[in-house]
Amino acid sequence: MIDEFAAIEGRSQGYWKLLAGMGVLLLLGAAAFIYIEVNGHGVTGMNNTVVWGLPHVFAISLLVMASGSLNLGSMSTIFAVKHFKQFGRFSAFLSIVLLAGGLTVLTLDLGRPDRMLLIMLHMNFRSMFTWNVFLYSGFTVLCFLYLWSMFQFPQYTKAAGSAAFMWRFILTTGTGSIFGVIHAREVFHSAITAPTFVAISLTSGTALSILLLLASFRLTARELDLRLVHALRNALIFFLLLVLYLLVVEKFTKFYSPAFYAVETWILSGSFAWLYWGGVVVLGILAPLGVLFNAKWGNQVGGIAFSSGMVVLGLFCFVGFVLIAGQSYPLDMFPGYEVSSVFQDGLEGSYAPTLVELLLGLGGIGVSGLLYLLGIRFFRLLPRKAVVPQGWDVAWRP
Amino acid sequence: MTMATLERRAVLGLAGALAAGVTLAPGMTLLAAPAERTEASAGRRWAMLIDTTQCAANCTACTTACRKENNVPLFGEPSRDIHWIRKVEIRDKDQRRPTVSLPVLCNHCENPPCVHVCPTEASFIRKDGIVLVDEHRCIGCRYCIIACPYKARSLVYHETKRGAESNPDVPIRSKGVVEKCTFCVHRLDNGQEPACVEACKGEGKGAMLFGDLNDPRSEIAKRVHTVATKTMRPDLGLKPRIYYQGL
Repeated sequence: MIDEFAAIEGRSQGYWKLLAGMGVLLLLGAAAFIYIEVNGHGVTGMNNTVVWGLPHVFAISLLVMASGSLNLGSMSTIFAVKHFKQFGRFSAFLSIVLLAGGLTVLTLDLGRPDRMLLIMLHMNFRSMFTWNVFLYSGFTVLCFLYLWSMFQFPQYTKAAGSAAFMWRFILTTGTGSIFGVIHAREVFHSAITAPTFVAISLTSGTALSILLLLASFRLTARELDLRLVHALRNALIFFLLLVLYLLVVEKFTKFYSPAFYAVETWILSGSFAWLYWGGVVVLGILAPLGVLFNAKWGNQVGGIAFSSGMVVLGLFCFVGFVLIAGQSYPLDMFPGYEVSSVFQDGLEGSYAPTLVELLLGLGGIGVSGLLYLLGIRFFRLLPRKAVVPQGWDVAWRP
Repeated sequence: MTMATLERRAVLGLAGALAAGVTLAPGMTLLAAPAERTEASAGRRWAMLIDTTQCAANCTACTTACRKENNVPLFGEPSRDIHWIRKVEIRDKDQRRPTVSLPVLCNHCENPPCVHVCPTEASFIRKDGIVLVDEHRCIGCRYCIIACPYKARSLVYHETKRGAESNPDVPIRSKGVVEKCTFCVHRLDNGQEPACVEACKGEGKGAMLFGDLNDPRSEIAKRVHTVATKTMRPDLGLKPRIYYQGL
């Protein structure tokens, strides 16, 4: 049943504390940006081997989650699960604010952010970056239209929601393709990189939505039917299995060919293996699945929230692994030869992020968090209570 | 209309103008800056042949000349130093062949991935095939560094300043943008060879040969067609224009 939507009161001390917290993150991010802008990227841990560091990890993680956050809206608009219609506004708005946070960090980490306007003036349509400019701006517009239709023109919701749904797949394919199309980088050059990004957007977007819904409803003392959370849990399990499947298929394909032995062995046992196994596989997939499949924990709000938290952290590990390990693996300039030089050829790249990078990245979370808090305060994004009819229940439970 | 309204309008107008100025001014200035690209001939294809048998391990004449000619600074940080050209030692993994020392620089590929990925077309191919970076258009996204398989590009991590020994004909390296070898395009347009080639002929053993591949009478065209040469990562399909002899 769809209850009436209402903005939150936003007068509690807790709300103001959260708002202040996000504001502080934003200010720290702004200060970090100015510091980097004045002093150059020399104050970061980046170098000429690892040129994309922690800010990119934050930015791309936020962008991936932005796409995935549309899941809840799509469930009702595309897949006709009408009980999720009450989360449509929340879903579309969350996508927009995450996109805003991610893009803020991405643009502020440019070597010359003062020239970002040039992206609009000189476009190279062969570049995945150029395509992503259109994909991100187009997605924002479509999410706005989707949101607007849900507020005022419900007859157009299906059309706007369908367009946003299709766009988000192309969008995340574009994000994954930033890496997948680069032939020179053996760690991430693969046709399966982009689909894996799509799949991981589904897991992380759903997980973040679960966390935010649980927190928002609990902190505003609104009723959230546990069966809806269980339905989201089932979706999360399905998406996690999809990511696991893609990772296994990729490893199987690569290990079938001797040409990939060196790089794949490095991925699984080299200096970033801890991030791959610990962060991507265990924290991001296996541990959440273990909890969600557990008959006790998988049915409890605490267990589902804990798993969702792990999935979100797993996304950061995945993006961090793709980026940092992908750049650190030495370029094979002369196959069959070992190489060395004063420019560290033949060596693994080293990268130790600095505080200023962390703050810039957290600034993106501050932007998204602040916009979300202001959004639910000023717009009717969340239902007064989220419930389902009496006899309805999820098809499967652990 | 009250005074308060007028003042508010004035403040809003001023703020708007200021915001527009801050946003547009850097772009407007930079748009006017690109250098002329009129000297290139579409009929030429500049290329370099490096005879590795003539390249001594302890010789750095080419790298030193490049730094001097192009105002390429050393920051004293190995991972962040800018290298337009560097000496690389390569050892056969099977230990069947002796260690070879050779210079590695931008390969000025016919299908350059750096140009393909550059969102602002700051990286471009000149008519004569030289791959250049328009420093006034580069936004410092570093995607080209990710895409280059030869590690031929560097981001300038620190501020650089013009010194007494700086070459006045060449700009200093600009913080926040990506740099790479230009084949000494300013010298080529004046009929001279790249500084590294000239230094190699003078101080080195003449391991580097530079010329127009499209000119069948040129020494490099003859050598490339008669001597066994290799390029770096030919499997990538980039068609590099740095040829190595003796590998």
